[in-house]
Amino acid sequence: MSTEATGEVTVTIDGKAVKARAGTFLLEVARGAGIDIPTLCHHPALEPYGGCRLCVVDVTEKGWDGWCKMVIACQFPVKDGLIVFTQSERVLETRKVVLDLLLARCPETPLIQNLAARYGITETSYQRNPDPTDCILCALCTRVCDHLGVSAIATVNRGIGREVAPPFGQAPPDCIGCLACAEICPTDFIPYSTSNSSRTIWGKTFQMLRCPACGRAHITVEQARHFAGKGGVSESYFTLCDACKRAHMAATFQRLQQVPGVSALGGR
Amino acid sequence: MMQNMIFRVNVERCIACGKCELACAFGHGSEGRPAATRIHIHRRGPELGTPVVCFQCHEAACAAICPTQALVRNPVTGAIDLVVERCILCRMCVPACPFGNMIWDEPYHRLAKCDLCGGAPKCVPFCPTGALQYVPAEQAAVRPEPLLERAV
Amino acid sequence: MRIESLAAFEGYVEDARAKFATRQSEVLVCCGTGCLANGAAAVAEAFAAALEGTPAQVKTFTKRTGCHGFCERGPLVVLRPSGVLYTKVKPRDVAEIVEKTVHGGTAIPRLLYKDPASGQRIQHYQEVPFYKHQTRVAMRRIGLIDPTDIDDALAHGAYRGLAKALTMTPEEVLAEVATSGLRGRGGAGFPTARKWRSCRNAKGERKFILCNGDEGDPGAFKDRSIMEGDPHSVLEGMIIGGWAVGAHEGIIYVRDEYPLAVVNLTLAIAQARDRGLLGTNILGSGFDFDIRISRGGGAFVCGESSALMRSLEGKVGEPRAKYVHATDRGLYDLPTVLNNVETWADVGAILEHGGAWFAAMGTEKSKGTKAFSLVGKVKNTGLIELPMGMTLRQIIYDIGGGVMGDRPFKAVQTGGPSGGCVPEALLDLPVDYEKLTEAGSMMGSGGMIVMDDRTCMVDVARYFLKFLTEESCGKCVPCREGLHQMLLIFDDLVAGRGRPGDIERIERLSRGMQLGSLCELGKSAPNPVLSTLRYFRDEYVAHVERRECPAGICRDLTTYEISPETCDGCHACFKACPVEAITGKVKELHVIHQDKCISCGACYDACPTHAVRFLPKHEMAARGVA
Repeated sequence: MSTEATGEVTVTIDGKAVKARAGTFLLEVARGAGIDIPTLCHHPALEPYGGCRLCVVDVTEKGWDGWCKMVIACQFPVKDGLIVFTQSERVLETRKVVLDLLLARCPETPLIQNLAARYGITETSYQRNPDPTDCILCALCTRVCDHLGVSAIATVNRGIGREVAPPFGQAPPDCIGCLACAEICPTDFIPYSTSNSSRTIWGKTFQMLRCPACGRAHITVEQARHFAGKGGVSESYFTLCDACKRAHMAATFQRLQQVPGVSALGGR
Repeated sequence: MMQNMIFRVNVERCIACGKCELACAFGHGSEGRPAATRIHIHRRGPELGTPVVCFQCHEAACAAICPTQALVRNPVTGAIDLVVERCILCRMCVPACPFGNMIWDEPYHRLAKCDLCGGAPKCVPFCPTGALQYVPAEQAAVRPEPLLERAV
Repeated sequence: MRIESLAAFEGYVEDARAKFATRQSEVLVCCGTGCLANGAAAVAEAFAAALEGTPAQVKTFTKRTGCHGFCERGPLVVLRPSGVLYTKVKPRDVAEIVEKTVHGGTAIPRLLYKDPASGQRIQHYQEVPFYKHQTRVAMRRIGLIDPTDIDDALAHGAYRGLAKALTMTPEEVLAEVATSGLRGRGGAGFPTARKWRSCRNAKGERKFILCNGDEGDPGAFKDRSIMEGDPHSVLEGMIIGGWAVGAHEGIIYVRDEYPLAVVNLTLAIAQARDRGLLGTNILGSGFDFDIRISRGGGAFVCGESSALMRSLEGKVGEPRAKYVHATDRGLYDLPTVLNNVETWADVGAILEHGGAWFAAMGTEKSKGTKAFSLVGKVKNTGLIELPMGMTLRQIIYDIGGGVMGDRPFKAVQTGGPSGGCVPEALLDLPVDYEKLTEAGSMMGSGGMIVMDDRTCMVDVARYFLKFLTEESCGKCVPCREGLHQMLLIFDDLVAGRGRPGDIERIERLSRGMQLGSLCELGKSAPNPVLSTLRYFRDEYVAHVERRECPAGICRDLTTYEISPETCDGCHACFKACPVEAITGKVKELHVIHQDKCISCGACYDACPTHAVRFLPKHEMAARGVA
């Protein structure tokens, strides 16, 4: 996402000069230059959220006399002459506090345990969650659901009671069973079951769109309905499964090809 | 100025040896599960097969349906590449492809498709009969689709 | 009837002024929410009935006004033209007031304000210290007018600023506001002219003027009083703002808990539209501007400007990234100016009297006046407006009358949950944005909570943490998890479960929250903690290391006993005790039974001879006394 200026700019990250397009978010610029900044709630397919605060960095500009401000890299647009410190003492200190707090909330979650360990934290200094959860409230699930235009789930309640839930805690009427939420969850918190005949997630069961020829399925009926028409792909595309489509394709080629000893109409 | 290459399949030459499938599967992952191939030989009889592989469509249905623009044209190879970072595993591309060339790889829990191996398709050198060729567009018997539009 | 032009406006105002000037006698009954809760409506009705019924040479009008400010002494009644102020008026006093004061011209001593220092009864409200030191700008008409009558407001100067502004160019209006030095009165103190200018310069045809009427700080009620008592001051300011930046739409976001404000604002908007002061072609200037009201849903966080805008859009009130300024992309991603109620109320006066007039008041960097809610352990609680630069001592003692019960002053909390405590040593601090921030506190929206020696500063910090924990939107880790964990630490501290290293953990967590939080709620949440730590560290140390509460407030740490030497058996403690934990006959030594005592301290407060003393529970336990 760019701002008005769209020219090329030079920013300095940890002393390294990096070129980028004006308005690109700092996180992308840094990662593109091989400088890693940790994140939890970031995903390249989605708009930045700014919830985990792990990607905090110190930035300054010439003329600020060395005065720095802490910003989150995932949402901070670069401009020419920006000077960035991704490992200043207070940046590291803040990241540690964030991870320490997350470890208190999710003490049994490997993703958090590993990330905290990388910053020297093996045990939380705060009170361990008496009811440990794997949900880190990164909201990737709700954001991807919003991105798909479904918005079946959302974050509900304020403060420490915040959680991801369908409306009124019941089976979400809008859910299309695409599993995008479960797939994007970094801690595999969202359970689901899926087979060729049915799929269940968030307490809602879906009918699968089964290939009439062989019975295989990849998506739900609701998914087909939701995506039909998008980008000019009609629901009629979704009928056969991929294997049967390939067989159909092969049969089409057969009809067109000349093979010695074999009739043009296929089969011996 | 680069040459535009075409992945040409001469179906009459396919002897269904399956080497292309192995080369593809092995070439895309160290475990080399043959089922993980992105090119499929439809076997009709002994030494008789029809290769089916992604057409890198001019107006790809998979790219159109993808909600996160994770399927994009590679300007160098001309292939439709899957950008893994943006893929959210909704699997819509699988039924969207009219030809069945988007693969859901269950064991690896990912989507897979032919990406022309980044410009040097591995199946081509393994094909013993030259049924699979990777040739400059001018040499292809079939006149390619609007050439300049491919390199988007 | 619609006022079609600026010229017509002058004529209309003159007529309105004349009409009200013919009223030779008025009874102004404060009907702000506070006094209403205290029975003011019945008082007003009683006056109306009494004055209607009594024939007199001079007709006296009863007027229900907005908040007079001296909430401690409500229901308040001011008589015009005498200026006599009656306090704590009851319906049964009304007949006497009508007879003796309205018609008889004499004051009734028992209803007059009694100055605690001199013991004298003061007649005129202008002489009452609470009012004497005030300079009312934002609240200039509150208490004088009936907020439901636009003509009353017009007669007292409403929309004069607007009339003047419409004869100036938007640039000239901006310059006037810049000259005034007006800074946002909602708490941040951002220069108002600078904000307006950014919006004016932003690209786009459609822009918004927003009024932040969310006022979530516990103990703050200045915005409520302004919206209830003089809604036209807010409307006027917003129209002027629209003229200056090029916006035609205004929205007032009122917290759901202010029903009277919503009623009075709605009425004011309808009346303004009726007069042609809102809507199309205002006063014939060709400028269109209209205002609507949006109610909050009960969330403190919606007072944060980006969360407020999300709430207006119908979304959940969560703040968003701050790198995009609302003046560029605010409501619906369009250029937006959001200002506090008081800021808007000041604007009209600034245009009317000039920016220089406003800038002549206040300090170097904090110009003008500020409304404060003076509450807590102070004798005269209420709402005041003062020039910036008055000292805390002047506010608390000269205006506030000193600490309740003449107990020792301990601290004053300013700025609400984002602010901090200022101790006795800094009582001579002139109140302005910079000075308060330097002291580790904040101006905030103007809340001032006075605390006496019977206040535990650890408990004070805990109170604000508890409030914020419930109001955090929960989006970012440092605020959501940090407030939760911080509160757990404080719960432990006040219960005697402090662990070594607690203070260091608190400090580290505070820094993490200040640096890492998404919005000011989380960033400023540690302020009460850090400021109490800065000035009252010994109390924290006592809680952590010795399981003691030096102020004797934390019930799990404190118990009470009666000293035999000083107890005179007056029985006051027995009567005060809510759980019958005290035994003793009159004129004999009384005893507190530890197994029943809940450590509430009521006996301590009641004892006239200071025979009750508090001590740490562990000390009592060490004696082996039951």
